Amino acid sequence: MINIRETMNTLNILLIEDDMIEVMKLNRTISKLELPHNIVEANNGEEALKILQKKDELPDIILLDLNMPKLNGIEFLNILKKDDVLKYIPTIILTTSNNQKDLLECYRIGIAGYVLKPLKYEDYVSKIETLLGYWSINELKQI
Amino acid sequence: MSQDKIDMLQRALAREKAARKQAEKILENKAAELYEAKRKLEKSYSELEALLNKTDSQLQGVFENIVDAYVIMDLWGNILKMNNAAVDLLGFTDASENGNLMDMVHPTDLELVAETFKNLLSEGSVTDSNFKIVTKQKIEKLVHVNASIIYDEGQPVAAQGIVRDITEINSLQIQKEKLLEKLEKSNNELQEYAHIVSHDLKSPLRSIDALVNWIKEDNLEKLDDTSIQNFNLIETTLEKMEQLISDVLMYSSVGSESLEKQTVDLDALIKELKNILFVPDHVSINVLQPLPKIEGEKVKLQQLFQNLISNAIKFIDKDVGLVEIDVKDIGTHYEFSIKDNGIGIEEKFHEKIFKIFHALNKSKDSTGIGLSIVKKIVDLHEGHIWLESKPNMGTTFFFTLKK
Repeated sequence: MINIRETMNTLNILLIEDDMIEVMKLNRTISKLELPHNIVEANNGEEALKILQKKDELPDIILLDLNMPKLNGIEFLNILKKDDVLKYIPTIILTTSNNQKDLLECYRIGIAGYVLKPLKYEDYVSKIETLLGYWSINELKQI
Repeated sequence: MSQDKIDMLQRALAREKAARKQAEKILENKAAELYEAKRKLEKSYSELEALLNKTDSQLQGVFENIVDAYVIMDLWGNILKMNNAAVDLLGFTDASENGNLMDMVHPTDLELVAETFKNLLSEGSVTDSNFKIVTKQKIEKLVHVNASIIYDEGQPVAAQGIVRDITEINSLQIQKEKLLEKLEKSNNELQEYAHIVSHDLKSPLRSIDALVNWIKEDNLEKLDDTSIQNFNLIETTLEKMEQLISDVLMYSSVGSESLEKQTVDLDALIKELKNILFVPDHVSINVLQPLPKIEGEKVKLQQLFQNLISNAIKFIDKDVGLVEIDVKDIGTHYEFSIKDNGIGIEEKFHEKIFKIFHALNKSKDSTGIGLSIVKKIVDLHEGHIWLESKPNMGTTFFFTLKK
């Protein structure tokens, strides 16, 4: 049997999140689980677009919050999916909103997942572990 | 001429004679029929005339008393006769005044009326035609017209019309549509608002939970049992708070989200629920007879049964718990009952429990919103809900749902 951990890819993750504690949560979760992934932070959609302008350093996946000031998650997603290069980056929504309208809209535009932020931190840790585990065994577009 | 030829011609002549005789006979019969028909026609015509004379005075009464405006005009729109209602509607001073209806049509609707008039002439009648007119008093009115051609000996000679002023009805209709539109918009906004508020309230809770966890994690050796216990209490309180926010959102969502009705198989729904719900070993859920299929919203019906069944389970204090689901056909509705042998509810609370935030038993898993959601869903399906209960014996919730 192969050791799954060893075959896992190291992911470059772009986290788009305006809540400081949410950012801390992801960072702490990754170090707690001793995962090799790199996290780049953006506080809102505008900042994320700036980061994504560097086409030679594109992330493997994007974790996207929906409720953000300035450019919100859905607006950002719309821009992303219209871009010929950026549209290939799997984007997973990480949000509190279980609003069916938001969910349908996101899947319509095109997302790779929709994960609800749970209340309890332990639940958050196990959700993130599963999510990152899944994406690190996936074949991703080499940019 | 040969004898043969003579014979042949004579035979042809004889045939022709016979044919002519036959034709004459037919003609004679036809003439007789025609005469008979003419006689009948004359008779019915004179009858009709008599009838017309007789009913003319009655018609005159109808003409005068009819509530709607009634106008007879020639084929060019000149008014020949009108009743008092028409005088009022069109803004004349009395019925003898001359006027042309075509001249009164509002300029914007001229084309429409011309088309309608063409239809009237070709079809013999038009119904439900709406257009704007300008009365003699220069007041714009929207009118509804039903008209028909009057024929004399098969020739159109005039037209009669019943005209109704629908200016006000129309503006009320427009007003109603505007209000409905506004209502829908504000409902959507409210819904949106509820989601945003719920998001904004939940986010800090999540952060507190994470921070508390980190303090606990980072100081595990330094904290004593009491502190650990207090931290756990914070977490429980956060959970309760979150449940409360979720329930309030659920309550405000019921009734405002889409009303896509579909046929819902309640038997299948209960079977599904039994898998989802946590049912302790000492409690059994029995469905006494096959449940019907009803027209409704599946998600909400599931919520309804889920809340009532989990409530029943929650308050069972006996060693052998029993939840029974039954149904009765009562005509336009089905009457359902969910019976338990739990702690029961005192009668003085029977009304109160359906009101929001009236949990009788304050506990971690009851926010006091469950039954008010249930009531809202029943209302939405045009039903009623009530209960019978004896303290310590158990409770039966009854509710009706439209078929």
